[in-house]
Amino acid sequence: MWTFYLRKGVKWVDDKGKPTEYEVTADDFYEGFRYVADPKNGIKNFGSIRSLLVGLADYYKGLQDVDSGKDKNRTRQQVLDTFKTVGIRVIDKYTIEYTTAKPTPWFLTYLTMDLFFPVEKAFMDKVGAENFGTAKDKLIFSGCYYISDWQRDKLIVLKRNENYWDKKNVFIKEITMQKVSDPAIALQMFQRGELSSAGLNADQVKGLQNTKWKDYIYMTDRSSVTFWWALNFQSKNPEFAAFVKNLNFRKALYYGIDHVKLLSLDDPLSPQNLLRTTIIPEEVIFDEKGKDYTDYPGLKEFKNAGNTYNPKLATEYFMKAVAELTDGKGNIKGVAAQAVDLKPVAQFNIDGKLPLQILIIHSTSSSDTKFALLMQAMFKDVFGPENVEVVLGQYVDDQYDEVIAPQKFDMAYDSFRFAYGDPLAQLGRLVTGGAVNDGGWSDPEFDALVAEADKKIKLSDRYAIFAKAEAMILDRVYIIPFRCGGSAYAIGNVVPYTYPRSGFGVTRFKYKGMKLESKPLLASRVEEIRRQFYADLEKLQGK
Amino acid sequence: MGKYILRRFWQSIITVLIVLFVMFMLLRLMPKENYFTRDDYINMTEEDRTAYLRNLGVLDNPLVQFVRFLRGFVTGDLGRSITVYPKTPISEILKEKIPYSLWFGLVSVLLSVILGFLMGIGMANNKDKLGDQLGTMYVVAVRAIPSLVYLFLIQMWITHLFNLPMVFYEDEPASWILPAISLSLSGIAWYAIWLRRFMVDEENKDYIKFAIAKGLPRNYIMKRHVLRNALVPLVQYLPSQILLTIAGSLIIESIYSIPGMGGLLVYAIRQQDNTLVQALVCIYSILGVFGVFLGDILMAIVDPRIKLTSAKIEREVTA
Repeated sequence: MWTFYLRKGVKWVDDKGKPTEYEVTADDFYEGFRYVADPKNGIKNFGSIRSLLVGLADYYKGLQDVDSGKDKNRTRQQVLDTFKTVGIRVIDKYTIEYTTAKPTPWFLTYLTMDLFFPVEKAFMDKVGAENFGTAKDKLIFSGCYYISDWQRDKLIVLKRNENYWDKKNVFIKEITMQKVSDPAIALQMFQRGELSSAGLNADQVKGLQNTKWKDYIYMTDRSSVTFWWALNFQSKNPEFAAFVKNLNFRKALYYGIDHVKLLSLDDPLSPQNLLRTTIIPEEVIFDEKGKDYTDYPGLKEFKNAGNTYNPKLATEYFMKAVAELTDGKGNIKGVAAQAVDLKPVAQFNIDGKLPLQILIIHSTSSSDTKFALLMQAMFKDVFGPENVEVVLGQYVDDQYDEVIAPQKFDMAYDSFRFAYGDPLAQLGRLVTGGAVNDGGWSDPEFDALVAEADKKIKLSDRYAIFAKAEAMILDRVYIIPFRCGGSAYAIGNVVPYTYPRSGFGVTRFKYKGMKLESKPLLASRVEEIRRQFYADLEKLQGK
Repeated sequence: MGKYILRRFWQSIITVLIVLFVMFMLLRLMPKENYFTRDDYINMTEEDRTAYLRNLGVLDNPLVQFVRFLRGFVTGDLGRSITVYPKTPISEILKEKIPYSLWFGLVSVLLSVILGFLMGIGMANNKDKLGDQLGTMYVVAVRAIPSLVYLFLIQMWITHLFNLPMVFYEDEPASWILPAISLSLSGIAWYAIWLRRFMVDEENKDYIKFAIAKGLPRNYIMKRHVLRNALVPLVQYLPSQILLTIAGSLIIESIYSIPGMGGLLVYAIRQQDNTLVQALVCIYSILGVFGVFLGDILMAIVDPRIKLTSAKIEREVTA
């Protein structure tokens, strides 16, 4: 159970920064949540909190059943009246209480999601629930900034809320977020002083090497997003389907991919910065003693593994797999020659013999195509053309719809957001039939470990079992994590680490405390600030 | 004429209805998954997705949906955007966006017509001389070089040279100049080259040779006969061009960050925002059909030899 005591006397302000008649109260949090929990309002990310609070899933399902006509015994109003059974309660005007369905020590990380934002019901009723939030005058604000201008597809202007309780820690009076379509234009605008910061791509960084700007280019932090390869255990390509179930073959893949080389396509200057070899990001979740989850025994080895590329080992494993899966003459056991029809992504013939054909999927973008071509060349080098032949397949618009859902791949990679501060956010979705288990693999041992870990409340107990589970699936190579999000080049006048930072929810749009300098920051200075930040962080964690 | 207009009016309505019906049904054939992003999709159960789609009304019989859409359109209710600007009334979006595209578009049509006509006349008058060759060079350059290349160069260099803002700002008139000029470049070339061609064609006709032989002054012939006849095929396109300026320009609006209509239809289709696609296609097709209709009438006014009979449109342009 989580109880929150609200600051008293805080008024909602309008799009001109003027206080309204409405006060921020516990009711606003209650009503906001009631809005989110109604399927009629079409909140698409509701799934991530469905089973968080007591009674929430049942309430939501009840409304769905009434809407679809499945439940004819109750009216919609009757179900709406049962909202009081959901684990959210207004104790008094300034106290709100959430009751979770099970102990949830990481509950606070959920609160960074917009799903928990307060809503002033009287105001929403005034503008109409349908119109709420569709324009600046259809919104009221309770934070340190309010939207003073919002031109669709052009800009959003945030102005400091002069009635904010902690105004003295809000340093930038006005923030304009401007849409710029091209990175080249953004860089030019930055150089001419029209923007305060700009992201740079690798080509731009190379282009700036001989200019005065070179000393100002710094790397942003790694994000909590992780990219991993999915290996398709339900593959419709019988050759790959036979091989992927073999651990030695999967180990061969684990050692056979030079990820640093692949990542150098994105960042030719320091590709190793993009490497991440665990599923759960580092420096995001910590136990009660401040220990990073990824430093738990078993997992730490994977975290520190670096580039696992080792062609000799890869070939050894591959040969072991070949010995187990073929008759010694290159015929794959139990696989007959046939056509593999995975239209419109790919279509090819297999002969049931080596070379093993592997279908790798890529989009139509040039960078993605280069990536796939490099994989193809790499496998040819490592395993030899007589052993492995990579077939490339292409999707046009959406990988999930065109490739993953209909299982039209052997290997595909994707990026995955880390939704809340517990390993369950990813590992819980990788269990048998889980939402991000794209390869459709199943390991009862892993499922059991995840279930066991989820029963633990003490973080260190919990993390120890989760780390064991994660290390296990990394060791058994069901998926291959290889890249983090973020870690991009940037240049700017904004002082890093002066504003809220977390891998979750909408924190990336929080600007309280942000400081801006009149000149761009030198990269060396950013490095200094970063060192100081991490030193302070360690002190806070009592290391 | 009245009868003709009435007849064309009904024909136009039927054309628009057919366009709408085909587009409407094609949208319904798209996979339902496209209404969701990947993250949403994997976070939702099958039941969540069905409930969401039911609320949107896309699970109803397509014919019922079509009638509902037409009824809404006639009563001025365009519905609300689904995925591009969730829940925002489409009329609001259009009200915000059309003015940008319309103003830039109208200015550019005006510039194209004035400069293009002047250039075309100049080129025809100086056929095969330096002026004509320079003009041709310009036209070939604008047509042959991918527009992104020179538009980008203009944005980078000219803003630097004259210290203009890189992108469009509503409250800074200096930032309006380059987008307007960029938007006119290809229009100028188009009008210039066609006007030159029609004028040169016209000049070689017997009646002009006869007029010259008669001793009429060259200026008089050019103005009175050549130009007027050469204009006829061009004015036909003018109304559609003016009306369709509200569709905006994908490239120029994008590089100058102008929040207009350019690209909106493309985004809407990509994100399967049915209501937005329907509204846009509806508006564009009405304007398109209406533009052609106006063009025909305008042509009849410019060239009295063209008669719009109720039986058949006669476009007798040749002398």
